[in-house]
Parts: sequence; C-alpha cells; structure tokens
Amino acid sequence: MSVALATHELTKDFSVGFWRKRPYRALDRLTLEVREGEVFGFLGPNGAGKTTTLKLLMQLVFPTGGRAEIFGRPLGDLAVKRRIGYLPENPYFYDHLTAEELLMYFGALFGYDAAERRRRAGHMLDQVGIGSERRLQLRKFSKGMVQRVGIAQALLNDPDLVIFDEPMSGLDPLGRRDVRALVLGLRDRGCTVVFSSHVLSDAEALCSRVAILARGRLVANGGLHEILAFEATGWEMVVAGIPASQVPSAAAGIRRVVPIGDGRYAFDLALDPPPERLLADLAASGARLVSLNPIRPTLEDLFVEQVTSPAAMAPRQGGS
Amino acid sequence: MKSIAAIAVNVFRESVRDKVLYNLVLFAILMMGASYLLGQLTAGQDVKIVKDLGLSAISVFGLFIAVFIGIGLVSKEVERRSVYSLLPKPIHRYQLILGKYAGLTLTLVVNVLIMTLAFYAVLLYSAWGINPIVQSAWDAPALDPALLRAIVLILVELLLLTSVALFFSTFSTPMLSAALTFGIFLVGHFSTDLRNFGQVVDSPAAARVARGLYWVVPNLGQFDVKSQVVHGQPVPFGYMALTAGYAALYTAMLLTMAVFIFSRRDFK
Amino acid sequence: MVATRHASALGAFALAAALLAGAIQVQAARERAYPAPPVDPAAEDAVYITSGSAVRRLSGAYTGLAADLYWIRAIQYYGGAKRRRDEQTLGPAPPPLLAAVETPEYTQLYTLLDITTSLDPLFDIAYRFGAVFLAESYPAGAGRIDLAVELLEKGIAARPDKWEYMQDIGFVYYWFAHDYRQAAAWFDKAAKVPGAPVWLGPLAATTLAQGGDRQSSRTMWEAIRQSEIDWVRQSAEQRLLQLRALDEMDVLQADLDRFAQLRGSPPGDWATVVGARVLPGVPVDPAGTAYELTPDGRLRLSQSSALFPLPAEPQRLGTQ
Repeated sequence: MSVALATHELTKDFSVGFWRKRPYRALDRLTLEVREGEVFGFLGPNGAGKTTTLKLLMQLVFPTGGRAEIFGRPLGDLAVKRRIGYLPENPYFYDHLTAEELLMYFGALFGYDAAERRRRAGHMLDQVGIGSERRLQLRKFSKGMVQRVGIAQALLNDPDLVIFDEPMSGLDPLGRRDVRALVLGLRDRGCTVVFSSHVLSDAEALCSRVAILARGRLVANGGLHEILAFEATGWEMVVAGIPASQVPSAAAGIRRVVPIGDGRYAFDLALDPPPERLLADLAASGARLVSLNPIRPTLEDLFVEQVTSPAAMAPRQGGS
Repeated sequence: MKSIAAIAVNVFRESVRDKVLYNLVLFAILMMGASYLLGQLTAGQDVKIVKDLGLSAISVFGLFIAVFIGIGLVSKEVERRSVYSLLPKPIHRYQLILGKYAGLTLTLVVNVLIMTLAFYAVLLYSAWGINPIVQSAWDAPALDPALLRAIVLILVELLLLTSVALFFSTFSTPMLSAALTFGIFLVGHFSTDLRNFGQVVDSPAAARVARGLYWVVPNLGQFDVKSQVVHGQPVPFGYMALTAGYAALYTAMLLTMAVFIFSRRDFK
Repeated sequence: MVATRHASALGAFALAAALLAGAIQVQAARERAYPAPPVDPAAEDAVYITSGSAVRRLSGAYTGLAADLYWIRAIQYYGGAKRRRDEQTLGPAPPPLLAAVETPEYTQLYTLLDITTSLDPLFDIAYRFGAVFLAESYPAGAGRIDLAVELLEKGIAARPDKWEYMQDIGFVYYWFAHDYRQAAAWFDKAAKVPGAPVWLGPLAATTLAQGGDRQSSRTMWEAIRQSEIDWVRQSAEQRLLQLRALDEMDVLQADLDRFAQLRGSPPGDWATVVGARVLPGVPVDPAGTAYELTPDGRLRLSQSSALFPLPAEPQRLGTQ
C-alpha cells in the first residue's frame, strides 16, 4: 500500500501582535501518513490546525519546520498539483463569472484545450447537480450552490488525491447525502480522499482512518476500528407493555431507565449480569421486547475525551 | 504561458463586467461637449484646445483605470480569498502576477485605443468646414498622426504606473496602495525639481537625498510630449525608443519585486 | 401590496420636497436678515497665483491644457472689461504712451497672458492676440504698448524663428506709437529670419521713408535691389526713384518758395516760372513725367506719373 501523502514534524508558527510579535504555534510537529485509496478524516475543534495543515499541503502557507510529501514529491511540485483537487473552506470564486466560465477558466490553468474544457466543465456541473443555473453569474448563487461549484472545480482534473476542507458546510441534507455518495464513489475509483470536518457522523460513515487534532497537536491517529474500542460497554434494551407500577428501577445491572412513552421504556444495562435474566422477568409480567443493542463508544465520545484530555489541553509551545 | 494568458483574459473580463468601459462613454461625451463649447469660447484656435483636452483626458482616464484596477489586482484576490482556489492549480505564483499585469495591460490598451478613435473623430468634427488656408496656418494639422506618438508614450507611462500599483497591491491594502501610487505619480512628475533641489535648499544632506530620489523614483516627465506634438514639433523615434526602454526596465524591476513578495506570502 | 408601496413612496417624496422647501425658506430668511457683503467685481477677477512658473509646477503634466484654460480666462477678462468699466467711475482716458499707465479694468490682463505663455511657451495666438489686446488704445484695449512688446519679446525668446512676432512688434510701434524708426528696425529684424517672406525688407524700408528718414530708407532699398527676384528688384528700383523724386521736389519747392517770396505771390503756372528763369524748363520727375504746379505754388507729382503715388510722410512724431 503506497503512501499518497506524508508529513514529518510539520510545524507552523505565525507571528501575531502588532508591536511585539509573539509566535503562535498553529501546528506542532505533525507526523502522519495517508495511504493511497483510503478516505482519511481530519477532525478537531476550531483552531486545532486542520485548515492550517491543508493549507500547508497546498502551499498556500509555508512551513516553519518539518516537511511533507505528496505522492513522494516535495510540496509545490507542479506535476503533482495536476493530480490534486482542493476545495477550500467557505470558498469564494469570482462574482462576475458564471459557474461554467469559472470551470472553463480553471480548465485553462490545467492546460486543457477549449473543447476539453467545455466537456469537463459540463460533466462536472452535471455531477454536482447544477443545471441551467450554470449560466448565471456566481454572485447570484446561494451558499450551497457555491459549495457545489467548489466541489466541481476540485474534481475538474480527475484527481488522484482530493482534499476537502469542510465539504459539507452550507449544504442541506440532500446535498450532504450527495457528497457522501460522491466521496464513496471517488474511493471506489481508487481516488484518495482527505477531508476535514466537524460532522463526526460523516467521518464515522466514510473514513477508514482519521486523525484528531487539538490546539495544533495530533492527539489520535489511526483506523477507526483501532481507535474506537470495539467491545461493547453495555446494552440498550427497549421493552414495551410494562405497566408504570411495575417498572424495575434498581435491579442489578440497570444503569438507567428512560420512559419513551406509551408504556415503552429504554434500559441502559451494564454488561454484567447478562440482560437475559431481566428480559425473562419482564416478559413474565407481560412485557414485549422491542430491541436489544450493544452500546459501543462513538467517535463523538472519543473526540470529547481526547480533546479535553490533559495532553491536549497543554498550552501551545511557541517558536521552539 | 497559457496560464498567464488565461489569468490575463480573466482580468480583462472582470474589468469589462465591472463596467470600467463606461468611462469611455464619459470620455466621448466630455470630448464632444467640450469641443463644441470651446468653439464658442475661443478665438479660432479650436483645434489646439481640442488636442490638449483630448490628450489630457486620455492620460487622466487611463491613470484612473491603471490605479483603481491595479491596486486591487492582488489584494482583492487575497481579501476575497479566491486565491485559495487559484494557487493550488498547477501554476507558479509568478504566473499569477504576470497574468494579472498582462490583463490590466490588455484593458488599458483597449481603452486607450477606443479613446483614440473617439479623439480623432472629434478632431475631424472640429476641423470640418474650416477654410484650408486657415488650417495651413496651424502649427500642426487637425488629424495629425504625430498625436499617436504622444498617445503611445502616455500608454507607456500608464503601463509603468500599473506595475507600481500592482507592486503595492502585493502587500498593502487598496487604500494605501492608491495613496502611494498617486504619490509616486506626483513625485515622478516633479522629478526635475528633485534634481535641482540643491539649488533651492541650503542643506547639502537634503539635496543628496533629493538627488538620490530623483534617480530612484520613476522619472515620469519624459513621457509627456503632448506640448511638442500639439505644436507640430518632431518627437524623434530615438527618444521614444529610449523612454520606452526605460519604462520597460523599470516595470521589469517592479514586477520582479512583486513576484518576490508574492511568492513568500502566507495566505492565512 | 403595490398600492401601499406607491402610497408610501409618494409620501416619502412629499416629505422630502416639503423639507427642501423649508430649507430654502430658511436660507432666504437668513439672507434677508444677514445679507452677504456685496462682491467686489474687481476682486472677483483676482489672479491668486501670479507666478507663471508656480502655476506651471502645479499643472504637472497638463500644462498645455492649463494654458488653454488661462487663455480662455484672459479672453473672458478682456471681454468683461466693458462691464468692469461700467461699474467704476473713471477719469479721462490716458493717452497711449510707452510709459506704464494704469488702466483699471485691465490690471490683470498681462498677468493672465504671462501665465498662459509661461505654461505653454509655444502658444502662438496667446502672444499675437494678447499683444493686440494689450496694445489697443484705451478703452478698447489696455493701451499698454510696453507690455505688448514685452509679451511678444517673450514669444521670440521661446521661438527665435518666429518672424511673425517681430513683425507684430513692428506693427505695434508703427500703428500705436507712431515710432517709425523702431517699427522699421523690427521689420528689418523680421526680414533677416531665415524663411521670412520677401516683402518684410521692403516693408521696413517703406516704413523708414514714411517716418521721414529717407537716407536709411534709401540704404535699405539699395540692399533690396540686390534681390534675384524680379518684382522685388523692380519694386526697389521704383522706390529709389520715388525717393529721388522726393529729394528733387524738396529742392524745387525751395526754389519756388524763394521766387514766390520775391514776387509777393505764388506763381500760377510753369510759364511764369520758366519765363522768370527760375528754372531752365518744366521739371521732370525721375520717371520722365512733368511735375505739376498747383495755383498756390505747390509742387506735386503728376497723377499720370509712373511714380505716383509717392510715400506719404506724416509729421515726425517720436522719431529722432
């Protein structure tokens, strides 16, 4: 499995302040790898350094320390840029251009001739669901439509590596579903996808591996199945038909009882003792089992735990 | 090269859609109205005044286009963050700068061309029906092709000032860039005074500073041959070649610095 | 609804109109209560910056246009003289002399013309028409021959090949100052400019003769007689014959006057003169035609003579 993208001790300091410039470490010695063909998630709270990392990779910002490679070549290599697609966060293009013209313009920067540009532009706009609006100037587009155009321009060159910074922002549920399908489609085609997101459910659904950043540092990195403990921590049992008076509240193993209404109750049970006993007791009183599921930790749990950990909460180092 | 051309075409298209070309309408109206009024006001030398007005107007309108578009060339991209989607494309940063410059050059050339056509049309109208004997007494004919020499040098000056504006645009805000570019325009036209500063002021240190400034700040007075052309005095081709050469070198210097600054910028 | 929008638009306009009307009323009331001091028409035409080089510096690259504006201003100033004159009580018109005399409503004229020509030293009509405005006898013009000459000399300094300006100076002396010696001197200077028209030399010579300075005139004509151009040479010969005629007539007239004194009354005809042996015969002019004798004893050239008419010799005013 070859490496699409790798960073080694990648560091970025910014100088802030007007008079006495204090260095602000936006990214602290980031070292990770993204393998070809996988969908990789960059997660973390605001100010964690996700966008900074992506900008460093795109050479919009230059590293203070460390290095990175894409497809084995150092950053900024033009041949590599030809194989990459990038969608910035909250993209803005050119108000005075139409969607079609924008894609044609970018197509020219890739060196395609006029016919090729037109074909690709048309195709991509179809893919992201922009129909006759493509002849309208971008100043008339809603945020969601601009986002779609952004995705279209990122995929214009059939890239081997796609980097999305907050791809779901501004999209309604339909749009998000479309983007998820798109990402999976890209993966199926062998494209490597890297995206940063706040929306953990998307990461859970799409990513094979993730990195979690906080305050410029990497606090977790690896496949979801590695990071998330796969063992269950308990059971959730939903039962119906229990009269209110007969709800057991303090039997062994019951951590919590939540009435759902209409005689239904959700039980949060510990692993031990096995729930069969309680179920048998309730059934004997005339209750019906609705569902029984193991409780596994979610990415959100992990996220909150990691991000508020003492290691993550340590202050940023500046300019070392 | 194709990338530079693509970026240039986009700059041109933006200036057209920003209704920059409406200033041409204003120019045409100004010229026609003024030439008619001046015919009423002056003692039979309409054509000189029309020529002065036309050349000055081309210069001023061109100056405003060069500065007000020039100062935004880079700063607008950065401020609006469209640069975030542009730079990741397979282009070098210097291509962006050169493309922007080429685009504004194209805009200016088109504008000046149209203004020149309108100018000659107005001259034709002004000289229409005037006795040929009277016309032969004029310093220069109404539809004098030598006017084009003055216009070419005006255009050369504008291209130099564009590079000044672009240079400032790579690192400062539009407001400050405008002030600095206009400032350079003014100082550039006072450059002979800078040279002779020593004769006016007692302090030798100030005189040396002024002298140094004279050599460094672009000498813009040399591009002004309006008076010669209006009075029918020749503007030698050698002079035009040397002035254009100076402008080319100075512009190349500014573009080099602009590329240098732009190549090192972090776009946070 | 549309109707409400129209109504509110009308309301807004009506309110704005009412407020403007109110403001106008208040201004009118203020002007009645605190009238502004009357504007001094002489001060109104003040030229604030009188230094040509200062204005030139301020005009930057647009000196030609600034010159045009000052020229227009000069014309308007000149045209407004009558209006200014009517607004002042004036004494008798001063005679046009070379001394600097104040002509109140033209005080700024030279300044405006000076600035115009400093801004554009090649501004032909500013020099020529300006000189006319300045030299023209008061009250039609400023009556300032000295300034007219100064302006034209400035023009010559800028363009030494402009024989027209030298001719203009000659004309100013000739017509307004009746200084024929100076006029002729300037015509002669003009004639010496390469490319000057051939008739300037003859003009200078004729002017001298008109001033009564026949000897200088004769010398000039002798020089002109060297010309290769036929009609110029013939014209010079004609002029020289005329000068000879004038000289002869002076001598003859003296003889006739002496005779008249002795006789007690002027001779009536040639027979009397020849009979009294004052002259050997009827005198003949250099062209061969007989002179005529008027009844009151004045000698004159015959109208049928080839030399008719002789150059007039007005009173010697201002010549040496």
